[in-house]
Amino acid sequence: MVSRSEVLSLCRALLRAGRQFPHYNLREYTKRRTLDGFRMNKNLTDQSKVNEAYAEAKAQLVVVERTVKLYSLYPPKTKNIMEVKLQ
Amino acid sequence: MASKVISSTIRRALSKPHGAVSRRHHLSTVAAAAAADTSTAYEDESILMKGVRISGRPLYLDMQATTPIDPRVFDAMNDSGINEYGNPHSRTHLYGWEAENAVEVARIQVAKLIGASPKEIIFMSGATEANNTAVKGVMHFYRDTKKHVITTQTEHKCVLDSCRHLQQEGFEVTYLPVKTDGLVDLEMLREAIRPDTGLVSIMAVNNEIGVIQPMEEIGMICKEHNVPFHTDAAQAIGKIPVDVKKWNIALMSMSGHKIYGPKGVGALFVRRRPRIRLEPLMNGGGQERGLRSGTASTQQILGFGAACELAMREMEYDEKWIKGLQERLLNGVREKLDGVVVNGSMESRYSGNLNLSFAYVEGESLLMGLKEVAVSSGSACTSASLEPSYVLRALGVDEDMAHTSIRFGIGRFTTKEEIDKAVELTVRQVVKLREMSPLYEMVKEGIDIKNIQWSQH
Repeated sequence: MVSRSEVLSLCRALLRAGRQFPHYNLREYTKRRTLDGFRMNKNLTDQSKVNEAYAEAKAQLVVVERTVKLYSLYPPKTKNIMEVKLQ
Repeated sequence: MASKVISSTIRRALSKPHGAVSRRHHLSTVAAAAAADTSTAYEDESILMKGVRISGRPLYLDMQATTPIDPRVFDAMNDSGINEYGNPHSRTHLYGWEAENAVEVARIQVAKLIGASPKEIIFMSGATEANNTAVKGVMHFYRDTKKHVITTQTEHKCVLDSCRHLQQEGFEVTYLPVKTDGLVDLEMLREAIRPDTGLVSIMAVNNEIGVIQPMEEIGMICKEHNVPFHTDAAQAIGKIPVDVKKWNIALMSMSGHKIYGPKGVGALFVRRRPRIRLEPLMNGGGQERGLRSGTASTQQILGFGAACELAMREMEYDEKWIKGLQERLLNGVREKLDGVVVNGSMESRYSGNLNLSFAYVEGESLLMGLKEVAVSSGSACTSASLEPSYVLRALGVDEDMAHTSIRFGIGRFTTKEEIDKAVELTVRQVVKLREMSPLYEMVKEGIDIKNIQWSQH
């Protein structure tokens, strides 16, 4: 069974990776989805279910890391209005 | 050192062909030349396009027009797009086999989302092609015995236009009116069915007002009268639970880019038992059971399949989030403004769609003033014309209210902050326009503007 610290460090890794999206909406979504996903499975006790959820999150981390690299090559030419301070 | 600075300047200037060239680069000739070349270049972080200056990319609230591609979908498309470039219809080598495999996996993913068998999915270029194939194809196939089509006045343009085309060929079409909440009157539908009715086509979720039609009941009526039921579910799949068996659907159109998938791909569900037959629009190599000849666009189809699988997994989570945002938007606007009307039923509605009318305000001025928010007054197809939406007119919305409608589309990637910002900007703009409006002043004074006798000059 995966340990508590392993789960937490996976969660942190996902959050860290997601922060690197150059696109505002994707950054916010990855953060929200990661936190909600881990919270949803907070009370899992069944060993196989925990392992399953852990494997799924791990697969997601691979996807995030890969797409962040790709998306960073094509950053938006101008910032989103939400990142710009309006007068 | 100096050469380093110059080369970095050149690199920066070259890497930003359309973007903003910042002020400090104006000293460099390269940057100045680049600035002269492009009409959109000026200060940092703002965009000039079509004469409108916006201080950043507008927040996107037009999810009914199209949705951004999900990175997970994009990721799924890439590997196969680079390596598995074979023609899925090539039967003689590995490249063909692996591409065919990929298409078949996508077929299963799409079928699973709607509760169908993979054999019933025909990949096409989008929902427009699917609608055309369904409406024209069925009527053409059964032209000897069936002469009549039933549809509604609030359908998407591509269904209405296909029906108009059929009319020119001598078929008869009944355009059912809808109730004021946008829903079909089931009794009227029952009465409209004739012995020679060949097809009933009613969309599941409306693209402009987001109302969900009573699909199960309509399906029951069609089954009773033994008429095939076609539905345009481009706005429905992946957002509300869809089950072709429960709804008793014979044909269903789907689209990839409404569910965070790629553009240029869609599918038509064609029921096998009881079998429904149709004439293809495209003739050729006989791909997709002969209903859609032409090489399948492997990569797009793969993306569509991945988007369907993702939508199925995320439906509940997304729905909860989007519902919350819809309430936040509506409450936020209602709190600060009076005379705000929701178009279409609020009970039977997909929550990602909020079509609002603001009384005493001119719609185009409102949209022009809301350049920081990417919204639309109706469907993207008709957004070029100043005419009020035909969907709202079918609902019986007054001309003045139909003119001021705005469709807010909320999706998977919309944030709470964006909704708050949209509320703030909309309220500010509406208040500003109302201050200028003599009509609003008169209403405040208690004059009923409907009773005013306007004199002609």
